[in-house]
This record gives sequence, C-alpha cells and structure tokens, in this order.
Amino acid sequence: MSIESILGTLEWTAENSLAAASQWKQASGRRIVGSFPMHFPGEMAHAAGCTPVILQESHEPITVGHGMIYPFYCGFTRSIVDQACKGDYDFLDAIMFGDHCVQVLGAADVVRAKLPNTRVHFYQLISSMSDPWSLGRARETFLNLKEGLEEMIGHSIDDEAMRASIRLFNRNRQMLRKLYEMRRAGDARLTARQMQILVKSSMIMDKAEHNRLLEELLAEFDKTRATAQRGVRVYLSGHFCQAPKTGVLDMIEECGGIVVDDDLYHGQRFISTDVDDSIDPLDALAKWYLERNLKVPCPTRVDQNADWENYLLDAMERSRADGMIVLMAKFCEPHMYYYPEIKEAFEKRGVPHLLIETEHELNSFEALRTRVETFLEVVKRQTAARRIAA
Amino acid sequence: MKSYVMGIDFGSTTTKTVILDLKGKMVASCVASKGSISAEGVQVSMDGAFAQAGIAQKDIARTVSTGYGRRMIDVADQSYTEITCHARGAIAMFPEARLVIDIGGQDSKVIAVSGDGLVQQFAMNDRCAAGTGKFLEALARAVQVPVEAMGALAMSSTEKLTVSNMCATFAETEVISLLAEGKSKPDVLGAVHAAIASRTAGLVARVGNRNPIVMTGGVAKNHAAVHYIEQALSAKMLIAPDPQIAGALGAALFALDEVAKPSAAMMDEEDGADEAMSSARGCATQPCKTAAKLPANERPLLGPM
Repeated sequence: MSIESILGTLEWTAENSLAAASQWKQASGRRIVGSFPMHFPGEMAHAAGCTPVILQESHEPITVGHGMIYPFYCGFTRSIVDQACKGDYDFLDAIMFGDHCVQVLGAADVVRAKLPNTRVHFYQLISSMSDPWSLGRARETFLNLKEGLEEMIGHSIDDEAMRASIRLFNRNRQMLRKLYEMRRAGDARLTARQMQILVKSSMIMDKAEHNRLLEELLAEFDKTRATAQRGVRVYLSGHFCQAPKTGVLDMIEECGGIVVDDDLYHGQRFISTDVDDSIDPLDALAKWYLERNLKVPCPTRVDQNADWENYLLDAMERSRADGMIVLMAKFCEPHMYYYPEIKEAFEKRGVPHLLIETEHELNSFEALRTRVETFLEVVKRQTAARRIAA
Repeated sequence: MKSYVMGIDFGSTTTKTVILDLKGKMVASCVASKGSISAEGVQVSMDGAFAQAGIAQKDIARTVSTGYGRRMIDVADQSYTEITCHARGAIAMFPEARLVIDIGGQDSKVIAVSGDGLVQQFAMNDRCAAGTGKFLEALARAVQVPVEAMGALAMSSTEKLTVSNMCATFAETEVISLLAEGKSKPDVLGAVHAAIASRTAGLVARVGNRNPIVMTGGVAKNHAAVHYIEQALSAKMLIAPDPQIAGALGAALFALDEVAKPSAAMMDEEDGADEAMSSARGCATQPCKTAAKLPANERPLLGPM
C-alpha cells in the first residue's frame, strides 16, 4: 500500500471511531471495551480478549446531551454525554471510567445512568505520584480493574497473555515514536493532521492490524527521501482528552507553521512510555503509570519530580522549535490551572508562544487564523532581528 | 516606470488603500465602504486611490494586502495580518507610540510595539463582536440613531448607566429595556460607549499597559469612544487625522521595504528568512540555553490569558 492509502485507511478509522469499532466487533467477534482517555492501560482489556477503544469527541453538534450536563463542561465531556444519550454507545460491551477531573466524573455519572445495562469498570487511580505508597496504590487499582475484566469474561487473565499484549502495545508505541523522530529530523513529511490520524487510529483499531499498517508505512518512508520544509517550526502543547480539530491543525500549517512535535494526548503523550514486559505485569503497569507522567507531565497528576513547563522548554529545544502554540480546550480545568506557570516560564526564557482556546462549537477559524499568522510573522521577524543584532 | 507601492486593507466593513511613492511619501489614500468582505469595495478603494494619485495599476511596483480579506486580493504580491500592518502603520504615524489600540468593524486588538514598528505582544477579541465597530452599529440600530451621530449624542449624556460588555446581543436587549424604562438616548449611548471602553481596557490588561497609546481603526473617529476609552485607561491617546488607514499604510510600508531591499521580504518562502531561522536554530539543540533568548529590552510574544 502507498503512504496515501495507508493514511486513508487510518483516517477513516480515526474519523469514524464508533463505526470502525462496531465493524471490527462484527468481523472479529471480540468484545469492545470503551474507555475514557488518558490513563487506562488498553493492554489489560486486550489480554482479556477484548478490543479496547478510547472514546472520542464526536464532530456532531451537542443536542440531547444538553439536558444532562452543564454548558460549562468541556466539549469532550459534553460530547461523550451526548453520544451516550443518543445511543451511540449501545454496542459497547463495557466502559472503563477514570476520574482524572471533575467534569469527566460528571460525564461518567450520566453515561452510567443512561446505559444501565452496560458493564462499567470504574477506577480511581492515585493522582499523587511520588509518595512512598503511590506505586502500591496504582498496582492495587490495576488489580481491581483486572478482576473486573476477569469477572466479565468468566476466566482469569494469565500473566503470559498480559505480557503478549504488553509487547504488542509496546511495538505500536515504538513505531509511532519512530515516526515522530523521523518527522522531527525531517526524514518523513507528516503534517499535524496526519500525525493525529496515526495516533488517534491507534486508540481505536485492533493493535495487531495497526502495527501491520505502521510497519508498511515505515517501510514506505524508508524508501522515500523527504524534501526540506521551510517555515516556522512549531511545537503544539495541550489538548488532553480530545483530539484538536484537524481544521485548526491544518490552519496552523497553512499559515506557514511546520508542526514538528507535540505533547498532545492524541500525540506524544499517548505513546511516550513502554511497559516493562520482563516483570510481573501488574507491577509493570503500575510502574508505567508513574513513569509516563515523568516522560510527559500531566496536569491532572501531581509529582514532585515532574515539571511541565521545564519539560516543554526542553522538548522545544530538542525538536528545534521556534515557537509553541498552546491548544487549550475551553473549560479544561487542569490545563487552565497550570497554564499560568507555563506562561511565566516561557516569558522568563523569552520563548514565543501563543494560546488558542478551542471548543466543540468552534468551526470558523478565520479570526484564529489572524492570530496564528501574526504569531508566525512575529516569530520570523524577531528571529531575523536577533540575527541582525548578533 | 513602476514608482509607487500600494497597501490594501481589506477589512470586514471597509476597504482602505494607501499609495506611497518610492521615497515613502503618501500620494493617495481612499476608504470605501461596500458591505461585508466586498470585492467591489476593494476595486472602488483602489480606483479612488489611483485617481487621487493620477496613476494606474501598471505604476505600482509592489502591493501588500492586509485585513480580513487579505488573501482574496489578486493584485497583492504579499499579505500580512492586520495586526502586523496596524502596528507598522501606527508607528509610522506616531513613532513614539508603544501601544496600539485598533478597533475596526469586526475585530478589536491591542498591540504592544517596539520602536521599529514590530509587534511584541497582542491580544484580540475572541469570537464575540462585543467591543468592536459591529457592537456600535448594532446598538445604534437599537437606539435608532445613525452610527455617525451616536458619538456626539453620547457625549451629552448626564446619567451614568450600565450596559453589559460581554455580548452584543445581550447588550442590545439591555439597551431596549433601558429605553423602555424611559432612559434618554444620550445616557443609553453613553453606557454603550462605556461598555466598549471597559472591553478595551480588558484587552489592554492582557497585553500590559504602556504609553504612549495610539488608537487606530474606524472607531477612533468616534469622539465618545475615544473619550470613554481614555477615561477607562486614565491616559490620553494619540489619534491620527485618518485613523482608518493605519493598516493600509503599514501594508504599503512593508511593500516599500520589500521594493527597497528584496531581502526584507522576510515572509517569502524564497528569501533569507528561513535561512536566518535555521542559523538561529543552529545551537538550539541540547544543552544550548541561549538560542531562544531575547535581548533584555525585548519582551517575548505571549498568548492572551
């Protein structure tokens, strides 16, 4: 398959997540376990013989969901509630909920009420990550989750099956990271939209199938030589649970930005950390949970050793980015809470950045375009002025 | 002989054209109003400027466009955003200014500028029309007063009333209920201008207040808006005789730079900008900590809070 056709297949999956999952369920006969984003180890559901699917914000206008949740909840939670109210999740065999913010918790309550016959696994992961008991508590939560899954499938999940799933998922993350590395180095031309498609489709598609397509894609990129790109190298930060609208990503690149790296959940955050396949799987998952917050710090977790703003400054240097665009989902409390620290650190270091607030209802990008274009113009002019001054 | 440059500001409600000779002297400026994003408006504005200068399109060496419709102008060789161009134009009008408040038909923006007219920081109204020319137009309609007359009427206000500054539609509802309570049109219009001023003060706070301040854009021609904004900021503002053309003037000045020194066409993909950026990036790999630092007197660009 060509690069275009592989990306086309993955794009369809990414943009039609529930239809893709439902088709897969029919074709494979596997149970589909929908999960909230961010911290759920899909490996475990996979080892239980199910296909884990991370629930996505839909592009549809929110209608009936308005009756169940306040308009000042983020677009992701409102959309999840709306999809549940519309019956979109009826085909799911189970849903895994986490409680990483108050709004997600509210959405979980509505979904539970709306889908009384769907099995729900609720897990409360420790959010204090650097205490002596953090690892033990995380393991305990994953054990509860495993027991819930075992109850659903009617038999235990053995360690070897867990390790096999862990290896499969690791392989997926490694290939996606390789593609990120190739983009950073200029060896593969991948737009921000394409990168999102690659990661988002991994949240939905059967992992073995996704790996097969990624292998083909990597082989194709190895064969081609990428031409150098000109423009402002941009680092994208923010957007946790939901994927940024691809129109926003396209707009940034149309304005002359080249997105070279990100810490988005539908990006590096999702694939940053592998799970150790040589130790007890539950120990390994608990370790993974704590480690990935050090790899790409998450504002919903607290770790004395993690510092998001310093991580971003370092990551920008590593990817030789000229400026950062922060994509903040409207009403995302964890992000809003941490943003002032990022702003201050970037200001102190003199690194240009632009904040864009995104929302479910936003479909016109023209006014945003003016801001992004100005930002990129300023970064270029400031860089050139510095060069002349030097 | 191509001895002129042109700047076109294709705004949401008006189009402005400025023509400069190659020494930078303004030979023509023309404002045309033909409705939202009107190609006809562009033509009328350009033709008006050509007629004033006594020249034709063939005499133009380079054209830079700006404004909402900047990418829709075929004759433009280059386009920059209205933020970049307003900053440049305002500093050309008042070199001492360090903050530009531009209130146009659709957008309002506050821009912190350096002495060379480069943008340092900016904040812009989001999706809502509150605090823009559209807000005034909508409320002039609600009070049934021509837009041009509303400023003078507001200046004769005697009672202090309040109108919400958050949403043009809510504000209209409030204006109607104030009128229903028997409040006078001047007082209601005073409140409308105060609402614009408080919205502007919010944008200024995002960027950080600096002096001197220059105000550009169509709303700068409204004395009441200027008065209330000055009151809200506790500062006098500099207003050009024709504040509406600042963006077009800035665009024309960029065109002039690019004619005078082609390498100044920094935004062009074919020019030295990318090279400049690559060399500036050169040491940006770890553990270099100096690459992204700005000179001490230069503030980095920030996003609005």
